[in-house]
Amino acid sequence: MTTLQPTIPARSVRSRLGGLTRSTPAYITVALVALVVVFSLISPEWRFLDATNLQAIGRNSAGLVLLAVGLTFVLGAGHIDLSVGATLVLSSVVAGTVAVRLAGEPSAAGTFPNAGLALVIAALAAVVVGGVAGLINGVLVTRLKVNSFVVTLGTMGVATGAAQVLTNGANVAGIPPAVQTSFGLNTVAGIPLPLVLAVVISLLAGVVLTQTSAGRHALAIGSSADGARRAGVNVQRSTIVVFVISGLMAGLAGFLDISRFGTTAISGHSTTMLQALSAVIIGGTSLFGGRASVPGSVIATFIPTVLLAGFVMVGVSSFYQNIAIGVVLIIAVWLDQLRGK
Amino acid sequence: MTDRRPPVLRASGLAKSFGHVEALRQGELTVHAGEVVALVGDNGAGKSTLISCVSGALLPDAGEVSVEGRPMPLGSIRAAMEYGIATVYQGLAMAPDLSVAENLFLSCELRRPGLLGRLGLLDKKAMRERAWQLMDGLGITTLQDVTLPVGDLSGGQRQVVAVARAVSRAGRLVIMDEPTAALGTRQSQMVIETIKATRDRGLGVVLISHDLPRVLQVADRIVIMRLGRVVADLAASGLKINQIVALMLGEQDNDREESLPA
Ligand SMILES: Nc1ncnc2c1ncn2[C@@H]1O[C@H](COP(=O)(O)OP(=O)(O)O)[C@@H](O)[C@H]1O
Ligand SMILES: [Mg+2]
Repeated sequence: MTTLQPTIPARSVRSRLGGLTRSTPAYITVALVALVVVFSLISPEWRFLDATNLQAIGRNSAGLVLLAVGLTFVLGAGHIDLSVGATLVLSSVVAGTVAVRLAGEPSAAGTFPNAGLALVIAALAAVVVGGVAGLINGVLVTRLKVNSFVVTLGTMGVATGAAQVLTNGANVAGIPPAVQTSFGLNTVAGIPLPLVLAVVISLLAGVVLTQTSAGRHALAIGSSADGARRAGVNVQRSTIVVFVISGLMAGLAGFLDISRFGTTAISGHSTTMLQALSAVIIGGTSLFGGRASVPGSVIATFIPTVLLAGFVMVGVSSFYQNIAIGVVLIIAVWLDQLRGK
Repeated sequence: MTDRRPPVLRASGLAKSFGHVEALRQGELTVHAGEVVALVGDNGAGKSTLISCVSGALLPDAGEVSVEGRPMPLGSIRAAMEYGIATVYQGLAMAPDLSVAENLFLSCELRRPGLLGRLGLLDKKAMRERAWQLMDGLGITTLQDVTLPVGDLSGGQRQVVAVARAVSRAGRLVIMDEPTAALGTRQSQMVIETIKATRDRGLGVVLISHDLPRVLQVADRIVIMRLGRVVADLAASGLKINQIVALMLGEQDNDREESLPA
C-alpha cells in the first residue's frame, strides 16, 4: 500500500517559542517570587512578609483574579472585553443597593435584622447583573458583527453611566457590616475568604477551558473563526458563552468589592480593567486568540498587587505601579508577537 | 448498477450571487451511495460555490438539497453534518493553534464515560488514540505526534488531516474541494485510495480536482461546470481528457452540450 509521507517541516520559530507559551505559568511564578524576595529584603524588618501584608495582598487580588479569569476566555476566543471594570462597578452598586433595601432597619447596636439573607441576595444580584452585561456584549458582538473592542468600549460607558445614575454618583452607604466581618475580612487557615473563593472558581474555570468542549471551542474560534465554523463549531454560541463567563466573573468581583470596603468604590476602578487585561497577557494568553492559560492569568494577577503593596511599603509612590505595569505589559505583548501569528 | 434507494444527494436549482457576480446559476448535483462524482470546471466556474451550498457553508439564493430523499435545511454546516455530509474545503478549515487530534474531533469531541462525561469532561486520551489510528489508517508515517498544533504542519500534512477528518465523520457523503492541491504524487495517490475506500464503504463522494488523469482513475461520473452552470453530466468510462477540457472551456460549440447518460 502506498503511504503518505508529507515531509516534516523544519520546526518553525513559532513552534520553538510555543514551548515558552506552555511554560508561561512557570516563568511568571519565578518573576513573582523574585518580586516578593526583593520587596522582603528591602522592606524594614522583612515586614513585607507579615501575615497582615500578605493577607491584604490576597484580599486585593481576589476580584482581579476573577476578572482575569473571565478575560482569559474572551482573549482566548480572539475577542476583548473592555467593560469588565465598569461591569464590576455596576454590579457592586446594584448589590449594595439590594443589600441596603433588604437588610431592614439597624438596631441600636448596629445589627441588621435580615443581614444574612440580604447579603446572599445581593451577591446573587451582582452575579446576575454581570451575566446580563456579558450576554448583552456577546449578543451585540455576534448579531451586529461589530468588533468586540468597539462594542465593549460602548458598554463600558453604558455600565459606568448606569452605576452613576443609580446612585447619583455617590457610593452606596449603609450596607450591613457583616459583609466585611463574616466574609470580606474573614479568613480560613489564614487565607482571606474572598481569595479562597476566587481560587476555587479559577480551578473550575481552568477545567472548563482545558477539559470541556466549551473551552476547546472558545480557543478554536480564537484560532480561526472560519476554520472552527467549517468544523461544525457554533461560533455565535461560543462567542456569547465567553462574554457571559467574563460578565459573571465581573459581577462576582463586584460583590467582592463591597465585601472588601463595606461600601462601593465607584471611582476606584479606573485602572482595574487594564490591570486584569495586563495580567492575562503577561500570563501567557495570546492577545490574538487561540491560546490561553488560566493558571498563568491567576499568577500574573498578583504582579500588580504585589508591586503596589511593595511600592507602598518601601515608600515609593503608588503611581509607579501603573508605570511598571505598563512597561511589563508592552514587553509581554512583544513576547507574544515573537511567538507567532 | 441500479439502486432502489433515493440518491444520497440530490441538489437542484441552486443559485448564488455575490453582489453582481452570479457565481452559480443552475447548480444540479446527484450522487448515489457508493458512487464517486467528479466536479470539474475552469477556475471561477462555480464548483466551490456549488459544494458550499451543499455543505451548509453558504446559503443559496434559490434551490433545494435533499439527502436520501429528506429535504435538508440550507445554510447550516451543523445541519449538513447531522445529515451525514462532511467536507474538505479548499483552503484551511482548521484551528491552527489546536492540535491535530483536537482538530480531528473539533465539534465532535468524545467525552469521558460515566458521570465525568455527563459533566462535560472530554476524553482526551481516547481522542488522541483514535486520532493516531485515523492518521495511521491513511498511511501517514511521518506525522509522529497528534498533539502537534496544526499550524506547525506542512500544507500537505494539513490537507491530509482535513481528509482524515472528513472521511471519519461522514455518514453518507464526503465532499472534497481540491484535496490534492497541496500534495505530491504519492500523497495524491493516497487520497485517491482513501476515496476508493470511502466509496467501498457505501458512501457517496464528490471530488473537485484539476488533476484530470487522476479524476478519470477514480470517478464514476464527471459533472462539468462552466460559468456557474452545470453543462454536462457524463459517465466517466471511456471519456477522454480532451473531451472534458473542451466541455470545460466551451470550445465544441456555443450551444448547449446535452448530458450523455451512461
Ligand atoms: N465570497 C465571494 N465573494 C464574491 N465573489 C465570490 C465569492 N466566492 C466566489 N466568488 C466568485 O464566484 C465565482 C465562482 O467561484 P468559485 O465557486 O470559487 O469557483 P471555482 O471553485 O469553480 O473555481 C468566481 O467568479 C468567484 O470570483
Ligand atoms: Mg474552488
